Amino acid sequence: MIVLHRLARLLVVLVVVTFLSFVLLNLLPGDPVTQILGLSATEESRARLRQELGLDQPLLVRYLDWLGGLAGGDFGTSYITRMPVGAELAERLPVTLELLVAAQIVALGLAVPVGVAAARRAGRALDQALTALSFALLSTPVFVLGVLLILLFAVTWRVVPATGWTSLSVDLGWNLTSVVLPAVTLGCGQFAVYARLLRTDLIATLQEDYITLARARGLSPRRILWRHALRPSAITLITAVGLNLGALIGGTVIIETLFGLPGVGRLIVDSIFSRDYLTVQGGVVLISVGYVVVNFAVDLVYAAVDPRIRRA
Amino acid sequence: MRRRLGFGVWLAAGWIGLVLLAALLADFLPFARYDETLAGPPQSGPSAAHPFGTDGLGRDVLSRVVYGARVSLGVGLGAVLLGLGVGAPLGILAGYRRRATDAVIMAVNDVAQAFPALVFALAVVAFAGANLRNVLIVLGVLGVPSWVRLIRGATLSFAEREFVLAARVLGTRDRRILWREILPNVAVPAASYAFIGMAVVVVAEGSLAFLGLSVQAPTPTWGGLINEGRTLMETAPHVVLAPSVVMFLTVLSFNLVGDRLRALTDVREIGLEPVRAPAALPLPTPTHPVRDTLLQVEELRTHFVTPRGVVKAVDGVSFTLDRGRTLAIVGESGSGKSMLIRSVLGLLPGTSIRGGHVYLSGDDLTAYGPAEMRPVLGRRLGTVFQDPMTALNPVRTIGTQVMEPLRVHLRMSRRQARAEAVELLASVGIPDPVRMLRRYPHQLSGGMRQRVTIAMALSCRPDVLFADEPTTALDVTIQAQVLRLLHRLRAERDMAVVLVSHDLSVVAQWADEVIVMYAGKVVERGPAAEVFARPRMPYTESLLQAAPRLTDPVHHRLRVIPGRPPDLAHLPAGCAFHARCPYARERCELEPPPLSEDHHHPYACWYPRPGTTAEQDVRTTGADSRGR
Repeated sequence: MIVLHRLARLLVVLVVVTFLSFVLLNLLPGDPVTQILGLSATEESRARLRQELGLDQPLLVRYLDWLGGLAGGDFGTSYITRMPVGAELAERLPVTLELLVAAQIVALGLAVPVGVAAARRAGRALDQALTALSFALLSTPVFVLGVLLILLFAVTWRVVPATGWTSLSVDLGWNLTSVVLPAVTLGCGQFAVYARLLRTDLIATLQEDYITLARARGLSPRRILWRHALRPSAITLITAVGLNLGALIGGTVIIETLFGLPGVGRLIVDSIFSRDYLTVQGGVVLISVGYVVVNFAVDLVYAAVDPRIRRA
Repeated sequence: MRRRLGFGVWLAAGWIGLVLLAALLADFLPFARYDETLAGPPQSGPSAAHPFGTDGLGRDVLSRVVYGARVSLGVGLGAVLLGLGVGAPLGILAGYRRRATDAVIMAVNDVAQAFPALVFALAVVAFAGANLRNVLIVLGVLGVPSWVRLIRGATLSFAEREFVLAARVLGTRDRRILWREILPNVAVPAASYAFIGMAVVVVAEGSLAFLGLSVQAPTPTWGGLINEGRTLMETAPHVVLAPSVVMFLTVLSFNLVGDRLRALTDVREIGLEPVRAPAALPLPTPTHPVRDTLLQVEELRTHFVTPRGVVKAVDGVSFTLDRGRTLAIVGESGSGKSMLIRSVLGLLPGTSIRGGHVYLSGDDLTAYGPAEMRPVLGRRLGTVFQDPMTALNPVRTIGTQVMEPLRVHLRMSRRQARAEAVELLASVGIPDPVRMLRRYPHQLSGGMRQRVTIAMALSCRPDVLFADEPTTALDVTIQAQVLRLLHRLRAERDMAVVLVSHDLSVVAQWADEVIVMYAGKVVERGPAAEVFARPRMPYTESLLQAAPRLTDPVHHRLRVIPGRPPDLAHLPAGCAFHARCPYARERCELEPPPLSEDHHHPYACWYPRPGTTAEQDVRTTGADSRGR
């Protein structure tokens, strides 16, 4: 029942978001007809194309038409390329998803051990170093960090290529070398956030009675940290990871531009430049759906981590 | 402790000032204009004439970075002011007139989170034209929801506080409350967020510029400079490094100042202040014979070095305990009972200093390191805490938790540990122990949970069981059951029990010996029956009177000990209890009474009670419940 309620609520969010973006995109100056035919086209040919594309219909009708198609899995056809938007998105999505997953692996792989170590010796050298490092990382714009990493690893040491993408289906090794630098760039900033969150929650958990009692039973500090304290301290971290994943589906555009990756973010930006409304709109749907799906997934993970959340 | 801003913040503020000044005075600074080509040889590295070098067209990079600061800081200031100007009134309104707006704000929040802000920004700037005004407006508008949330949160936390509620009740007009009470308090979080918002906007503008969607060439922007510099990375890395470093330092500075401002007002800050370990000077202990008993505690002390002074939580406590006996430690809250237990077990926070000795079968535990202590803690000393609600790990099953000590200390196999756990749970009176193994703590009642913690404490067959207020958090009917259980288990397993309680009537029935604690010291001790029958120290007498009895008439007035426990960092001269003692005389204020020499029933008091008050009462109730 609660699940249904939440689902309904998220569906409403989805409709509102797509409607807002649909209206916004159409209100903004610029016109796909001009984009396709150029400024010198006759009024007659413009009107014909307008009719052909369905742009002569009122905004609301167009939106409902599009929404109806979406319900059947049809994202529409691009005004500019005349290609189905869905196919285009499907081609780009794996790149973005791989980047996101790799970045989360980097971020969590660093954040969990560092956060645990810092919490264990709160206030000591390692903890203070983490505070300083996370502050510095949070203050580094992602493109600055990316440029620095490219300068070091691709230009100076030449260990990985600076830009370009090899698909996973082509060659695993090349795929990994092309994803590692973007993933590290994206993951570093998140590592800082995650490590701080985990550290704060762990410090709070370590004050709990059940931790003192675990010590009173003569268990080793390592066992207490990893088996007793980590899981109850993970809820905020999981929320942050979820929110990040949701937010980043459309937010990797800078990384994709910097490293020349053919992902969804790049597609959206290119479509914005070419006034390809329906492709942009498709990207918006993807981002919103991503948010909804991640929200659900996070709820499921909560239940797995904390039995108190499970429904009886 | 006074909070200080610290050196780094002044450095950060200095950097912000420098960048701001340079941006303002860019036209008067002695370098080539940002668009003057061939001001020096192209792609030349840093030199005296061009401190940041020159770019591919021979333009001065320093000049371009300084002019770029105009755009970054200009957009930053404008967008923050716009966000503040729109967001603050909305936020205050939402926080102050809560009910109507809460739902709206939640809904907007949901949409805002799912809405791709970056796509929106890109689209608007791309379609409406990439110029300073559009970038500023877009980034300003995108910042509004965060401002509303922040200001609403700050307003809410003040709108509920006593002084605002009081003003409302007194009929002060809303506008006056807003201006006089709420606004000044919201100002500091707003100022802090203004700095952090600057950092966010500078990064966002940089991102747009990096994508070519901010102020257009030839006007330089930081993001644009970095994007341009990328192409020269192989031959002239300084072109990309200079704006990168300046941008990083600027964003860092804004974040730093904002964060410290926030920390100034945030009282919840956990563990961020560095904890300095005190110089661990061991407290001196006089020599003494090591006796042939199970547990011998000699002159145990636990002191905390705090900014207010040394807190003597436990101050020279000694006792001995044999197998099959129960020692009760009683005293009001804050008298040092629990700290005494933790001190014996060596489970003190890092900021404490311990002195004295704890002998277990003649071995000095205070000489043990943490690694040597672990097998002792796991196998020979068992512990039960006051609150069973917090004593079990909420995310692990009962089975995992009961089996853990068996697996770790006794090296049992999973199957053996399981069988043993079932037996343990059965022995503490848990019905259907096999099913219990798969349950989680939140599915159990308080009494059941306490039985589980007792089972865990007993799992490795300890020699001594420390029970720190084991029944205080339970309701009265369960209390008796749990105490009877402890008593039975003591006999079955031939252990010694240390029972801590603030409730004298509870321990009266189950203890063999009693220690009464006040302000970290033992003030009276003796055989349980004797101490209850003839309390000598007025404090013990008040404790006895403070305990409500079943024989009290209905609507009987609850007696409490007048006054408050003393400040352990600043103990009064003389007897620590004198200020609250109805029998205190001048001598009590001047000289601390020592524990009397009487080995049978010593007490620390200059004017002891004759000790007959509670005799009749306790004897009857005691005998009564023991027989039940």
